[in-house]
Amino acid sequence: MKLKPTTLRIFTSLHSWVGLVAGLALFVAFYAGSLTVFHQAIGQWATPPAASTAANTLGDAQQLLDTVLASHPEARDHLGMTFPGYEMAPPSAYWQDSHGTWLFATPTHPEGSPTPPQAALPELINELHYTLGIPRIGTWLMGLVSLLYGVALVSGVVIHLPRLAKDLFALRPGRNLKRFWQDAHNVIGVLSLPFHIVFAVTGALLCLTFVLMMALGPLAFEGKLLGASATAMDTAPVISKADIDKPLQPIARWHARSIEVAHAQGINDFQPGYLKLSHAGDAHAVIEITGTSARGLGAGSIALDATSGAVLATQLPGNRDANHATLAATYALHFGDYGNAIVQWLYFLLGMGGAFLFYSGNLLWIESRRKRRQAEQGRAQVVMARITVGVCIGVCVAVSATFVASQLLPWLAPHTSMANAEHWACFIGWLLCVLWACLRAPIRAARELLWLAAMLTLMIPLSHGLATGLWFWRSMATGQTSLALIDLGALALATGFAALARATARRARKNQPNTVWATTVRVH
Amino acid sequence: MWAKASAGIVPGFFLSAALIGLLCWLPSGPWQSNMMPGITAFFPLWIGVFCTAFRFNSARLAWGWLGALAIAATGLLWSLQLAGWVR
Repeated sequence: MKLKPTTLRIFTSLHSWVGLVAGLALFVAFYAGSLTVFHQAIGQWATPPAASTAANTLGDAQQLLDTVLASHPEARDHLGMTFPGYEMAPPSAYWQDSHGTWLFATPTHPEGSPTPPQAALPELINELHYTLGIPRIGTWLMGLVSLLYGVALVSGVVIHLPRLAKDLFALRPGRNLKRFWQDAHNVIGVLSLPFHIVFAVTGALLCLTFVLMMALGPLAFEGKLLGASATAMDTAPVISKADIDKPLQPIARWHARSIEVAHAQGINDFQPGYLKLSHAGDAHAVIEITGTSARGLGAGSIALDATSGAVLATQLPGNRDANHATLAATYALHFGDYGNAIVQWLYFLLGMGGAFLFYSGNLLWIESRRKRRQAEQGRAQVVMARITVGVCIGVCVAVSATFVASQLLPWLAPHTSMANAEHWACFIGWLLCVLWACLRAPIRAARELLWLAAMLTLMIPLSHGLATGLWFWRSMATGQTSLALIDLGALALATGFAALARATARRARKNQPNTVWATTVRVH
Repeated sequence: MWAKASAGIVPGFFLSAALIGLLCWLPSGPWQSNMMPGITAFFPLWIGVFCTAFRFNSARLAWGWLGALAIAATGLLWSLQLAGWVR
């Protein structure tokens, strides 16, 4: 395909600009996001083995519900609960107190506490993924980054379009290192394009739906958009209280009823995950049960009269309205929680490929502005090299450090708050890496931080084994495959970091003078 | 570059909003029943419009065309809504 040279030039500079602005944030989002694919396994990995053998039957869930409803009147209006085995082995309940603070309760701690019962580690990595760890505005920022990412995808394809078919399978190693990186950037970008389109769209949507609805409402929906959103997004109809007391059916009954209703719609393996209960104790009590089935794209839900078990509404795979089908597809495609383990590993690999895309994009920007005939290099390129090394390799170091901290801290300092301690380990570690990259020549900083990442990542299986005795061969032998896979995955990543560190060291030894990657950097 | 980008951001946003409005309101049945597909389509549409802004020969043309289209599309949507021809 032929394009005008001016168009090509404009889209090239557009691609550089949005890449520069959004690339670092996207690297973090993809690295942390790839790990978040396995958040459930990571939660298990970070939970001490003793804690996971707690109460985990429907009877325990019933007892928890009764205790919470009796001692917290505000939970009767709206209450959420996870069934045993969803996210974690024991059931949990959550509701908002009179100040709007969320409280969480489990069978071992039915009194309610503002600290979520799940392990803090997967939640921290997820936060890194969708907010970069920035409170309040982080989500909007990442929404904006998703939009820039969409622009980068369109402009990237446009630039590459004239050579798309010809260069698709060209990967030219050799003396021209830039050619090789450019080929790798292009081939990963083109082959994983569908995956990236999905993430640009769903990422923006997950971060900005509410803001977007506020803006679109008065412009195109006569101001009625937000008012209509509850019906479009929830399954249970909005019903007001009857102010007549009526007892709830038992949880086991709701559980069985939801499976029965799904079965009647042709879904034979409906697995209830969590429930939302409103107006508990009232004659108009409503329960909405959300669950998954192996062959459905995304979760489905069933709304029941919580006092009689009569079906109020259903939104199950294959039988959803347009709104719920769109929502379910958006969530499922983003979280990768459909299909089987192959889908999750594919998401992990494509996510890591995405991280490489943004890293290589920055390196290419630096390389194409290299001054080959003089030692002094542009200030912008040197700064970019420092930030890229500090932020990208730094976040790998910080994440591995947090994994290690989550195992060693309860052992070294048993009385600290885990969520806080892990938070500090992550963000102070990251900040130190960025500072280090600002102080050293970029190539030295890259080599040292890569070695640090390799060592800390190697410590992930070691710390897990030391703290819990669950060395990966033992988890393997006792059938806890997901725990063993995290340890083995860490070993593989550590090997990868070490290989990159050695490659960086080789490049440093050659010490080409006219580049930002020289061992002594001179700024123009 | 910045002037064309601003054309994609400002009138481009209003044009995309109006087109999404038409997409939700024009099919038969109440607009509420396809609001989520419409909202989902908004961001890809806006990104497309934003990138199109760079294909105009000048920023003035980009602002002019996108602005005029935005006004036309919004006008059409609002008059259909006011007349009660869509629901």
